[in-house]
Amino acid sequence: MSEDCKALRAALVTLFLWLLCSAPAAALQLVLDDPVLTPLERRATLDLLDLAKRSLPPAMVGRLDRSVEVGWDPGLPPQVIGRATAAGKLQLNRQWLQPLVAGEADALFSERRHGGLREELLATVVHEVAHMYDRAQAGSSGQQSALRHCRRQYQSTGVVGLPVSCRGNGQRRRTLSDNPRLLDLAGWSEQAGGRGKRHSVSDQPDRSPDAYEHTSPAEFVAVNLEYFLLDPEYACRRPALYQYFAEHFGWAPPQASCGTTYPFVSAGPGRNQPVIGSIDPSRIYAVHYLLAEPNREWASRWGHSMLRLVICAPGREPGPDCLLDLEHHLVLSFRAFLSDLQLSSWDGLTGEYPSRLFILPLGQVVDEYTRLELRGLQSIPLELSAEQRAGLVRQAAQLHWSYDGRYYFVSNNCAVETLKLLRIGTRDSRLAGLESITPTGVLQLLQARGLARPDVLADRSAALRKGFYFDSQRERYERMLAVVRDELRVPADDLDSWLAQPAASRRPLFQQAGRGASAALLLLEQAALDRQALLAQQALRRRYLADDDHAGLRAAGLLMQDLLDHSTFFSRPAELLEHGYGLPHGEEHARLEHGASTRKREWLMLAERVEDLLPDLLSARQRQELEDGKHNLKLIGERLRLLHQQEGGLSLP
Amino acid sequence: MKPVSLVTLCLLGFASSAFASSFIATTDTIGASLANTVEGTTNITSSIGDDKVVQEARTDAASFVASQGEIRGVRLEAALNHIRTALPQVRASDMQLAEAILAL
Repeated sequence: MSEDCKALRAALVTLFLWLLCSAPAAALQLVLDDPVLTPLERRATLDLLDLAKRSLPPAMVGRLDRSVEVGWDPGLPPQVIGRATAAGKLQLNRQWLQPLVAGEADALFSERRHGGLREELLATVVHEVAHMYDRAQAGSSGQQSALRHCRRQYQSTGVVGLPVSCRGNGQRRRTLSDNPRLLDLAGWSEQAGGRGKRHSVSDQPDRSPDAYEHTSPAEFVAVNLEYFLLDPEYACRRPALYQYFAEHFGWAPPQASCGTTYPFVSAGPGRNQPVIGSIDPSRIYAVHYLLAEPNREWASRWGHSMLRLVICAPGREPGPDCLLDLEHHLVLSFRAFLSDLQLSSWDGLTGEYPSRLFILPLGQVVDEYTRLELRGLQSIPLELSAEQRAGLVRQAAQLHWSYDGRYYFVSNNCAVETLKLLRIGTRDSRLAGLESITPTGVLQLLQARGLARPDVLADRSAALRKGFYFDSQRERYERMLAVVRDELRVPADDLDSWLAQPAASRRPLFQQAGRGASAALLLLEQAALDRQALLAQQALRRRYLADDDHAGLRAAGLLMQDLLDHSTFFSRPAELLEHGYGLPHGEEHARLEHGASTRKREWLMLAERVEDLLPDLLSARQRQELEDGKHNLKLIGERLRLLHQQEGGLSLP
Repeated sequence: MKPVSLVTLCLLGFASSAFASSFIATTDTIGASLANTVEGTTNITSSIGDDKVVQEARTDAASFVASQGEIRGVRLEAALNHIRTALPQVRASDMQLAEAILAL
């Protein structure tokens, strides 16, 4: 071969390589299209675009095969920082060009979400590119082929026959904003019985970085990508969404260091209970489905669904022993928040009362159901992995801080919401497509899918002993009455008539009671007093609602309303923090602690005033009966101590 | 055994009596355990009998004693465990401990 030929060949190879390299790469380009810029302005703009492009996930840049022109527009309204035109050009507001070059005007933006002019401009570019990416139906090849599969399924079977794995994926038009998982996390939740159809409004309005995100799922995606890409705290404040985006892009931006616990406001109003609690997912041994058994009242025939977090006492390794750490266990319970003393059942049915996620100490929940409502509680372990338990708590924390749902009697009740929380939090495929609007129905479904193990209830006394079952106190009262009858040989067949006797008339029995009967009488006296208090309360309520023109009653009503108004923060903790979004982070903790303790102190003071006022509103007979009942309890307590002493019983140091 | 406070019941009542249950909040809850606040105990213990877990076991202890050991609730179980862990030197049967809790 001649030298010429060699030279020619080398030149051809070079040309080929050059062509290969300079062919337009399949990737997003941000091209400056503005002929009238000074060199400095040009430099500043190019720097901004360069920074924007470097902030974007590589996968997004790679999948958006287009070049986007960017320019400065003098005609934009002053409050608009930038926008995309219908033709896909990105326009920034020219009034900010000079300040950008001069590095000025940051102070003007310090109150804005992103904290500075450059940051706001950057966020605007990211926001608009995010919209383009969302509309491009992009995604990894795996994501794309799964969607093609679902689309085909949808075309052949329609929505009714669509497999659960394709639910919500049969007619997708967007990359992210119609993704079922994203919509779940963003609060556009599925309607019960809607086969994947979703509510039109997000149910997570609180603690938002930018209210604009609630305009539509598309805006939600664009706003959240701003924060995902530009705010290192996003990972801590919206951890589930952070994980969602990171999984989608197969890449994650830098993140701040997040704490290992989630803060919450405890709805337990005990004076000595800390108002701010924290849940460390690694301390949770198990999650139980907690079912308040139905009773004969018509509205509770279906029972009530809750979740119990079996949290271990400090220092204890997570394991079965944690089942006895009752004072550390928490209950997640969706309930209506009633803001008005004039309760209307119509408003209840139509969702006038917002549903909130309450986080309560277990002991309080047990007392409320077993002692005041006389209902049993089943606590059924759920088969979940540690990762699923952590995901569940993360979602619960998210809802605690952001959720404000409407409460509908049938279509959005505690069963629907608890199941939804479980499904979204655990991402367990066994929960996909499950729907039930009744608490017992949910339990049956969980059992059928192998998630719940109701066999723990098979041995009733073992269940009581281990806390898988909390019996209605009524069952115990019946047994106690039998003990009294047998030991003291008194006619006592019917619990209700026993409890209805005047307290003073039961008193003479006390002196004859041995230890067993005294213990039984203690419980019965408690039952009688609870009953008296309930009767007194019902009477007050009747008079109040009947518009009794009693000045004291009206004053108490006003105070009670005030007390209710002061209690909103227990279930809507977002009220306690003005700034920040998502889960509280960093220095917000201190502000939270301070705000919550102040609010609780005020609440307790109000509660005390109501407490002082109420006895005077009762009839003399009711007051006397309550006093007698308390006195009985005291007497029977003394009797027990006396017997214990006489028999040389053990005394605890 | 703590009496239920009237405020508690009033909040409960206003919140619930139309529906008396779960669907519309059994309770607004907020007041639900005010009973415990009124005569609350603290965790700053001078005696094991002041511990919350022991205090909360009184109802269970009463059922246990009255039923001669047949009714055995988890709160008693937790209290027995707690006492035995905290005071390993105390050698006593479950019944003796339950009686002691009841006599507090």
